[in-house]
This record gives sequence, structure tokens and C-alpha cells, in this order.
Amino acid sequence: MTLAVLLLLFQLKVPDAAQFVGAPQGTPITGAVLETRTNEIGHLLRCPVCQGMAVSDSPAEMAVNMKGQVRELLARGYTEEQILRYFELSYGEFVLLSPKKEGVTGMVWVLPVLALLIGAVVVFFKFRKLEQALPAATPAAAPALEDPYLARVRDMVGGDKP
Amino acid sequence: MNRSVLLIGIVIAAALVAILFMGLGKNPAEIRSPLVGKPAPVFALREVGTNRTVDITQYRGKPLVVNFWATWCGPCWEEHPILVANARMYADSASFLGVVFQDKEDKILSFLQQRGSSYPTVVDDAGKTAIAYGVGGVPETYFIDAQGVIVAKHNGPMTPDILRENLQKVLPQ
Repeated sequence: MTLAVLLLLFQLKVPDAAQFVGAPQGTPITGAVLETRTNEIGHLLRCPVCQGMAVSDSPAEMAVNMKGQVRELLARGYTEEQILRYFELSYGEFVLLSPKKEGVTGMVWVLPVLALLIGAVVVFFKFRKLEQALPAATPAAAPALEDPYLARVRDMVGGDKP
Repeated sequence: MNRSVLLIGIVIAAALVAILFMGLGKNPAEIRSPLVGKPAPVFALREVGTNRTVDITQYRGKPLVVNFWATWCGPCWEEHPILVANARMYADSASFLGVVFQDKEDKILSFLQQRGSSYPTVVDDAGKTAIAYGVGGVPETYFIDAQGVIVAKHNGPMTPDILRENLQKVLPQ
């Protein structure tokens, strides 16, 4: 390797995550754990050039590069939260496959639960209304009458009612 | 009861239509980058075909147009002559810098030799600079002011009008 190339390598600089999210707040990891965590975080990030695919699932070069970046940041001790924040600061919330549970996107999480609760309350009150209406209808609806034919036979033989 | 159910249905449908209308009315090329208004991520990359390093900080004090592109990208071919011509036209007031990623060096050199250039082009080998700038697909162009702050971003091929309009945002008034 010539001196010129060595000098060049020394001068090259790519944007550092520290510029966005500060120093690593976790512990550096290696080996199989590093690969597992890289895949897990890659599943939380959207590949920007694919149709709704996670970085971990896409063979696109952009996704491969992003996954490489996740791996490098994990190896340096960055936490999952810091890594997701780093990508969000570059790409916007669009890059997160699960919308954040705050702000306007928080509605995505709140509204279905709210709709379910309102539905449950409506169903509860409907049932209670039905229950209140039922006791009045019961005596007329189920008169315990003896079969008239059987009653006539009983009269004829002079037997007692059971 | 039926009337209130109908009313609720109409309100929900109207809200959904309004959201859909707002979304469809937006220009996809004008997706606001979270980096707009923030300092441009700093990088120093190798100029294509040389061993010279181009450091973005050397452009401070003058507006800078950073164009991410690749030779395999059709729209990049379209916009290339516009960028080259405007870089010459605005040479005194603004600098231009090309950043190529996901490409082969021989192809970039051949492209530039055939089609000409009027500004440096650097190579982003592992795509880390593109990721830091939130580049989804090429071409994407960033307009950085003299203080090194990203003022505007354009997704998609550049036209003379779009270029002029965005340059006005970074050029001194």
C-alpha cells in the first residue's frame, strides 16, 4: 500500500452517528448476538427503495447497506433506541415500520382501542336494556298450562292433580 | 337510532375522504426531509478516478449543491447536463458536488468522460453518506447554505426551474 493511499484512507470521513445521537449508550456486542440483534433491528426499519419491506428482508443494495450500518452501530455499543433514532433523523418517521406511539401517529394505536371500548360500552348497554325488558315478558310467554286432554282424562277418572 | 348511526357514518367517511384528499394532493418529490434546517452531515470522500479527498467543510462560506446520483439511474442522465450547465453559470456564487453510490468506478469515469462535468464527483462506497442524508433513491439533491445548513431537498430529476428556485433559497439576497 503506497503512502498516498494510506494518507487518503486517513483523510476519508463518513458522517458519524455521534453527530446525530451522541455517544453510544450501550455495550458493544459481537458474534452471534450481534447478528441476531442486527436482524431484529433490521426488521424494525423500512427499506426506502422497496415496497413496504423491512431492511432485514430485502436484498436491495440500499437495505444491505442500512443493515451493515445497523451492525456497525451495534458493534460500537449503540442501543436499539439510538439506532432507530439515527435512521429517523435522516429519513423521517417513514423509515420506522411501527409508527411511534406519540403525536399524530399515536392515533393509529389509540383509535382502534377507543373504538373497541366504545363498541363494548354500546353492547353492554344494549344487553342491559334487553335484560330489563325480559322479566315483564316472561310470565305471558311461558304459561305452565296442563295439557287440556290430560286434564279432561284426569277429571273423568276422578284423579288428583300432581 | 338509525339516523344517529347514519350521521356517525357520514362523519367518519368525510374524515377519511379529507385525509385521502390531503395525501393525494401532495407532491411526492416534495417530501420534507427531517434534515432541512439542520447542519449538513459532514463527510470527506474520495474524488472519483483520483486519490484526492473532497471534504464538505471546505465549501463553507459559499452555498453548496450536493447531488446524489448513479450511472444506472435514468433520471440522473436527464438532469446531468442541467447540473453541469448551472454549475458553470453559478460558479462564482455556489459550488456543486456529486456523490455517487451503489455504482462502479469505471462506469462513473466513463459516464463523466462522455458527458462532461464541471464540478467534483466523489464516491460513497458503503453508502454511509447517502444513509446519513436520508437518500432513498437517486437522484436526490440537497441545497446547503454558506453556513453548512441544509435549506432544501429535491427528490427526483432536476429541471432548470427547480434548480433556480432552490438556489435562490441558499444564495445571498
